[in-house]
Amino acid sequence: MKFTYNWLKQYIDPAISAAELADRLTMLGLEVEFVQDLFADLGDGVIVTKVLTVESHPNADKLVLCQVSAGREEYGIACGAPNVRPGLVTALALPGTTLPSGLVIKKSKIRGQESDGMLCSEKDLGISEDHGGIMELPDSLEPGEPLVSALGLQDTLIEVDLTPNRPDCASVIGIAREVAGFTGKTIHQPFQADLAAKNSKDLPFAVSVEAPDCPRYCGRLLKNVQIGPSPWWLKKILLAVGLRPINNVVDITNYVLLEYGQPLHAFDFDRLAGGRIIVRKGKEGEKIETLDNVVRDLDPEMLMICDAEKPVAIAGIMGGGNSEVSAVTSTILLESAYFDPLSIRRTVRKMKMGTDSSYRFERGVDPQGVPKAMERAVQLICELAGAEPVAGMADEGSGVAEPAMIPLRPQRVSDLLGMDLSADHIRTLLGSIEIRAEKADQHTLHVYPPSFRVDLEREVDLVEEVARLQGYNDLPSALPLVPMTFPESDSIRSLRKKVANIMVAMGFHEAINYSFGSEKYFDMLGLDQDDRRRKTVRLLNPLGEDQSVMRTGLLADLLAVCRHNINRQNNEVRLFEVGKIYLPTDSVQPEEEEILTAVLSGRRYPGASFLHFKEDAVDFSDAKGVVENLLQELQIPDVSFDFCVTYTYIEPGTCAGIKSGTTEIGCFGKVATNVLKNFGIKQEVFFLEMHLEKLNGLELLPKAFKPLPKFPAVKWDIAVLVPDAVGGGEMLKAIEEYNEPLIERVEIFDVYRGKSIDAGLKSVALSVTYRSHEHTLDDRTVDGVHKKITELIISNFNGKLREV
Amino acid sequence: MMEEELVRLQEEAFDSLSAIKHASEFEPFRVKYLGRKGLITGAMRMLGQVAPEDRPRLGQLANTIKKEVEEKFESRKAQLAVTPISAPQAQQIDLSLPGRSIPFGKLHPVTQTMEEVCSIFEGLGFTVAEGPDVETDFYNFEALNLPQHHPARDMHDTFYIDDGVLLRTHTSPMQIRVMEKENPPLRVIAPGKVYRCDSDITHTPMFQQVEGFLVDRKVSFADLKGVLSVFVAKMFDEQTAIRFRPSFFPFTEPSAEVDIACVICGGDGCRVCKQTGWLEILGAGLIDPEVFKMVNYDPEEYSGFAFGLGIERIAMLKYGINDIRLFYENDLRFLAQF
Repeated sequence: MKFTYNWLKQYIDPAISAAELADRLTMLGLEVEFVQDLFADLGDGVIVTKVLTVESHPNADKLVLCQVSAGREEYGIACGAPNVRPGLVTALALPGTTLPSGLVIKKSKIRGQESDGMLCSEKDLGISEDHGGIMELPDSLEPGEPLVSALGLQDTLIEVDLTPNRPDCASVIGIAREVAGFTGKTIHQPFQADLAAKNSKDLPFAVSVEAPDCPRYCGRLLKNVQIGPSPWWLKKILLAVGLRPINNVVDITNYVLLEYGQPLHAFDFDRLAGGRIIVRKGKEGEKIETLDNVVRDLDPEMLMICDAEKPVAIAGIMGGGNSEVSAVTSTILLESAYFDPLSIRRTVRKMKMGTDSSYRFERGVDPQGVPKAMERAVQLICELAGAEPVAGMADEGSGVAEPAMIPLRPQRVSDLLGMDLSADHIRTLLGSIEIRAEKADQHTLHVYPPSFRVDLEREVDLVEEVARLQGYNDLPSALPLVPMTFPESDSIRSLRKKVANIMVAMGFHEAINYSFGSEKYFDMLGLDQDDRRRKTVRLLNPLGEDQSVMRTGLLADLLAVCRHNINRQNNEVRLFEVGKIYLPTDSVQPEEEEILTAVLSGRRYPGASFLHFKEDAVDFSDAKGVVENLLQELQIPDVSFDFCVTYTYIEPGTCAGIKSGTTEIGCFGKVATNVLKNFGIKQEVFFLEMHLEKLNGLELLPKAFKPLPKFPAVKWDIAVLVPDAVGGGEMLKAIEEYNEPLIERVEIFDVYRGKSIDAGLKSVALSVTYRSHEHTLDDRTVDGVHKKITELIISNFNGKLREV
Repeated sequence: MMEEELVRLQEEAFDSLSAIKHASEFEPFRVKYLGRKGLITGAMRMLGQVAPEDRPRLGQLANTIKKEVEEKFESRKAQLAVTPISAPQAQQIDLSLPGRSIPFGKLHPVTQTMEEVCSIFEGLGFTVAEGPDVETDFYNFEALNLPQHHPARDMHDTFYIDDGVLLRTHTSPMQIRVMEKENPPLRVIAPGKVYRCDSDITHTPMFQQVEGFLVDRKVSFADLKGVLSVFVAKMFDEQTAIRFRPSFFPFTEPSAEVDIACVICGGDGCRVCKQTGWLEILGAGLIDPEVFKMVNYDPEEYSGFAFGLGIERIAMLKYGINDIRLFYENDLRFLAQF
């Protein structure tokens, strides 16, 4: 809702600055979006001037040279406007002035001729969009006077961002009522005339309401209307709030809409078939061309204003071209109505068009104010367009009841606000904004909301009014007294936090991507046509194709992020995301499953100084190390890896599944080269993926103390040649399963193929740590065990001792 | 004669102590002066040869001198121990070169901010509840007193999956989901991702929110003000000014917007606060009786408050980030800053 300070002043004088006014309104819940001084830049630099002479320009066909008067001074000005003529009173911008477009006026030579300034159009000065010629000002203005004061342009524009519950404030008078509340002043009503008598029988037109969606429809007929431009004061207000003046009648209906919040519509009566208005629902197949020149299809849900033959307006939203007021109109039928908010809203949604009018009807206009706003418009049309009203008005429809009385308990107000407020005090507060309250008994007030406050229906609505009028910042502040309870935390949330912290400690940055993505990713990942990840939850109204389906995996987004970073010369990528994937189910809502996905690419220690770390790129072992570290920190039991999973997007032979016991918890590997190509990535990328819900279900390894050993350990090595196919890990496992109490730890410290080793074999070097908890081990004891272990390896894995 | 000899000996010892530059010189000094055959010990032995009437005085002097030399010896030793002894070795390390460190990763700034917000409320005893991103119209709107065709639905640009199924536009549905299952007293926060179809410099189609609510007997607007004031003081600064002003949400009545003094300009007015000196950071209010009716709570018996805040907005204010879209580009140069 936009209005100007001076306009508001016509109804009530806030007697405070515009900035203070904005602050007061904001604190009353009418949030002021902006406050702007209008035409502040024009200052004294743009003046009223009168054209004295016009001569042709010697060097330019389209320009003329004028001598203009500005009171005492005369100026020579070059001008190209079509309407420049001797005797014209217009606007002159003098050198040094900055116009709203940013143009600075200078004394200059135009095609060899001096020009002392510029004659301006309304658009040049930011008054309107009119650029057809220079301004045509009334002869009565005094040349030399600054234009801003001559036209009374100086004003402040204020825009209030209204909440949906306050349609009453979508009007200047509504704002004035709030101002009256805090200033204690009375509103100056714009007109005093009595309402026309309801007289539907003898009228030269008829109104019939056939749909319950229109509880009230008022109409008056005005004759001998002279359509023409509006006077400057009216245009000025409309222009200031961003409306384009059209003609006096249309401008008046717009003006009254902003003044009272009641939308009005004027029909050219001679174009209404049968001289009548029928308010009814649209019919299947009916069409109407609205004022914006769009032909719209109607349906039986939509409330229409019709004449005897056809729809002439979409009720409460927009008029039709077939009954539009034009230059030749002489009789108008003025409509002021109350339409059912829900009905208007449905039509607005369906037609996808909202107007200043529908905005108010959707939220609820004052049903009792319908004839009053109409009368105000009648008065203005008579005054400004010379019309003569036909006596009497139509007022049809089932009517809208006065708002119901609301009982209000002052004790309830005090309880909810945490502050003792007396019944009298509450009455005074409510009374300041025309809400009447009477004492019913010791504990109750009877409150009668005015008809324009459609939002007041319940006791709690009045509690808010009291709080608002008292001032939220006047209300006390306290901490609640609640019984102490332990805030339980969700296990998946704890797990997610733990996972994130471990990943961060391993050098990964956390990424967050949108929960929706592109379907194209499935092809880019090379997913099979029947892959379950292609079954998605789809948005009906996505912002774009690339955000149209809910994610069924996180890898594609992370690859896209890899590309983003690599393209910005950041080739060292370690990123993870913990996020949901959405899997369609038979029920209404999909299954939402949380997963971890991480990608590694580029140098092993991203961002680490080259002084100390080489350019080694990550490989499969890095990915596996991350997985092992993570699972160990999470105390996941019985972890094993195998190559039994195969996904199209993982490089064959690197596709490792991760299990805890028999539960599959994830996988890791190297992203397939063709997938990387699809994503535009030219370096190797490794990834890992884990299902948080599955991890969450596992029974974790306990954290139990083991006494620290008292006796020293000894390390003995074994170097064996085994066939290439033997897994190093299997050798470790065989020793572990041998369950020799003296063995504390076994490690592989070298695997070697090549020179001096026969083809098909490899050399594996193991280091075995022996320790006893009872005594210091002697060589003889260790030797006995070590020999057994060595034999075990040789016999189980078809190996032989490597001679060094 | 004996007296002069003793004083001279003391001076000589002091001078040579001062001249010591290296730890290896202490032992020869000790042997020379303080050892069993040292000069001071020797002089003390000579005391037997002086006149008996002078003996006590000279004996005392000799003892004092011995003690002083010993003290000075120890203090000189301690002094040299702290000064770098092997200066040439120190030059081999270039202290100005960077150390060898293995870089950490970072949590996303939105996660960091979310954790900070949640931990403040968890400290006040709020339980964390999480719920589905794909919600039904019932939980997202209907049960929150936002029936079909309510104009306030315009404030939520909703992504729809299907008729009656949508991406939640706020985490407020958790109010209903929790209250349906549990009875007051309740103190709950619901963090999570929410969605609105809007994308520009101040909006991303997905963002994160924390919804919180507290329900019990006799909960008042004063309690709401108290709890949110604590939050602002902990999240920003104890001195940060805070104001409450009337607003509208269908699920609260009275409703409030909460502003804090602009953290950029301190309240003088700047581009970020649109010259108002205030920044809107929270929406809040007392839970509307209609919402209680939806979960079969008696609004006459129970009252409560609810609030909601956008995490990105808080993070932007905290870190001075000027474009919300940066959060979801995941540029490492951005992520590494927080």
